[in-house]
Amino acid sequence: MDTLLRLEDLTMHYKTKAGWVQAIDNVSFSLHRGQSLGLVGESGCGKTSVAMSIMRLLPYNAKLVKGRVLFGGHDLYTLSDEEVRQLRWKEVAMIFQAAMNSLNPVYSVGNQIVEAIVTHEPETGEDEARERVKSLFELVGIPKERMDHYPHEYSGGMKQRAVIAMALACNPSLIIADEPTTALDVIVQDKILREIEEIRRTINMSMIYISHDVSVIAEVSDIVGVMYAGRLLELGPADDVFKRPKNPYTYSLMNAYPSILGEKHDLVTIPGEPPNLLDPPTGCRFHPRCDWATKECREVEPAWREITKGHYLACHNPVRTEHGTAHNKTARRAPGKGGDGIGTSGGN
Amino acid sequence: MRRYVFGRLGQVILTLLIYVTLVYFLLQAMPGDITMMYLSNPKIPQAAREELKKQLGLDQSLFMQYVSYMKNFFRGELGVSFSQYPKPVWDILMEKLPRTFVLFLTANVFSFYVGFVMGKVIAWRRGKVIDYAATVVGITFWTAFYPLLALVVIWIFAYNLKWLPLNQFIDPRLWSAAPFTANQVFGNMVYGAAIIGIGIFFIFYYLLRGLKPSRRSRAQAWALACALIAAVLFVAARKGMLIYIWDITRHMILPVFTLTLINFAGTMLLMRDSMLETVQEDYVMAARAKGLPDKVVRDRYAARTALLPTVTSLVLSLASSMSGGMVTETMFSWPGLGQTLFAAALSNDYPLATGALAFTGIFLLIAHFIADILYAVLDPRITYTGQSGV
Repeated sequence: MDTLLRLEDLTMHYKTKAGWVQAIDNVSFSLHRGQSLGLVGESGCGKTSVAMSIMRLLPYNAKLVKGRVLFGGHDLYTLSDEEVRQLRWKEVAMIFQAAMNSLNPVYSVGNQIVEAIVTHEPETGEDEARERVKSLFELVGIPKERMDHYPHEYSGGMKQRAVIAMALACNPSLIIADEPTTALDVIVQDKILREIEEIRRTINMSMIYISHDVSVIAEVSDIVGVMYAGRLLELGPADDVFKRPKNPYTYSLMNAYPSILGEKHDLVTIPGEPPNLLDPPTGCRFHPRCDWATKECREVEPAWREITKGHYLACHNPVRTEHGTAHNKTARRAPGKGGDGIGTSGGN
Repeated sequence: MRRYVFGRLGQVILTLLIYVTLVYFLLQAMPGDITMMYLSNPKIPQAAREELKKQLGLDQSLFMQYVSYMKNFFRGELGVSFSQYPKPVWDILMEKLPRTFVLFLTANVFSFYVGFVMGKVIAWRRGKVIDYAATVVGITFWTAFYPLLALVVIWIFAYNLKWLPLNQFIDPRLWSAAPFTANQVFGNMVYGAAIIGIGIFFIFYYLLRGLKPSRRSRAQAWALACALIAAVLFVAARKGMLIYIWDITRHMILPVFTLTLINFAGTMLLMRDSMLETVQEDYVMAARAKGLPDKVVRDRYAARTALLPTVTSLVLSLASSMSGGMVTETMFSWPGLGQTLFAAALSNDYPLATGALAFTGIFLLIAHFIADILYAVLDPRITYTGQSGV
């Protein structure tokens, strides 16, 4: 398998009046063609910033401090604006967090997709592009007569599908889906996720899913990256990470979500809040909220290392299967609920 | 849509009725009447003055005068001017109207266009030098004392540099042997401009609505527009009018320039503000992610949706320029509606003053009406179904 995308020690800061916000810190991962990566983490942990770095669509106050983004052989941050513009959508497309608002209200939906096609493939005629939009609409399940309608005439689910159709318009090698289904109800959400997955597998496209919802990520990702406060804490094959989480944060995150198929367990919230990235904690950034933090965690930044094949971790004191029970004893429980069911869905 | 248009027309007529009534009574509330003009002339006896009042119908009660005026007004009969007796008001207005209309419409279109483009550019490059520079320059002119600015402009361009004529709207030496009257030429200019305007609107309507992304159709539209302009100019040339049109145009340059200078900042700042909101929209980010060229994102995404509030300002600036027209016409000795209104008000010429003001009002109401229709054209989310009460 060849590598499509590689982030090497990506470090990106935002300049604000209060100082530099360390939004992304030493994030490294690589993604093969046809593979799907899920980035999971709490709000504000830098998931969207990573996506925007890959698109090179950062706001004006962002500064790339260190690291590289390699995409299909290009080092994105050494290319000119024009070269990057040509790569966008043709190679990397995006499904935005607010799909509802990512369509221009004054042009018809079909024309917005035609526009993308004609911009990147000037040799394609307009009629040909319209034909392609029709087949894309069929693919995502919108009646093709609707292509000349305006966004406000679409329902929420249809807009979401239209945005997906738009992302597929130029057959990109990679689609970044930033919270693609957060605004939808659970049934539509599930349906759309399945459809995206089906399309992805058929055309062997890579995908990065970004979500705070562990269940969404679990459903669609081959590999999973867990982000916290601008850092990757754990990354590995989805099965590995979810069944045998090594980082206490991953572990807590999973206990904070209900599992429909697994055994019933009490939901355990993670106490505290993500840190202020203007002045992140020393050592491991998760240590103030971690029940198993040691002196080393507070002082020394944990190294990013491969623990088993393809499974990376940054933690001084990882969760071990045998001491998973020990962890359970100290884990805080939801008030009023007892029992030793905590972690049974993911702790062993 | 049709129901909406008719309902809206009804409103226009009702508003006009109220407006004319107000204007009528306000003018009547001015002290004195036309006969006071002769007051200082001791040779006119009181009896003759009474006779004059009776002939002009000023001896009747105010209410009766009003009723007969309104009756005539809606029959298109505006009465006879007192000060230019016995010229009918209608004739006087029809003589002056095209001049005012052409001047201010041109000035408005220019200042709107300049303001729109500048606002678009500085909003896109907010915080940069050009943003501050344009804002400072714009505000300076916006707050300048208009008559003084007009004098300075005349002094520089007409008196010192002698590039453009000082005042008036035609050069009498050229027109002494002209086969047409100035108003014929003016009328033709209005028709020509209307044909070009409507033609270009329809050519680009297709583009505006449908966002045809390919350059080919855009180039075609431009070619069609140029052909249309060329055709109109050709017809004018065949009639031998071109040199006279050029003379009038030359006289228009300074007032239009001054009006643009003083007014563009309004549209510019409004456009800037409006666009600073739209650039934050997700669809602008999405457009950039789509890899559209920067200019396309700016024009078709950020600026296009920011246009709506600016169109409102265009209509409002039409309103203010009609009332501000008096100053402009006086400074540039432009014999139009504003000057006529001014003179009529000074000489207690009620029919002429009322008529002139009524026309200003009609202009405004039509402008508002067109703005409402334009909204529906510019924003597909607005539909006038009549039932939904939008």
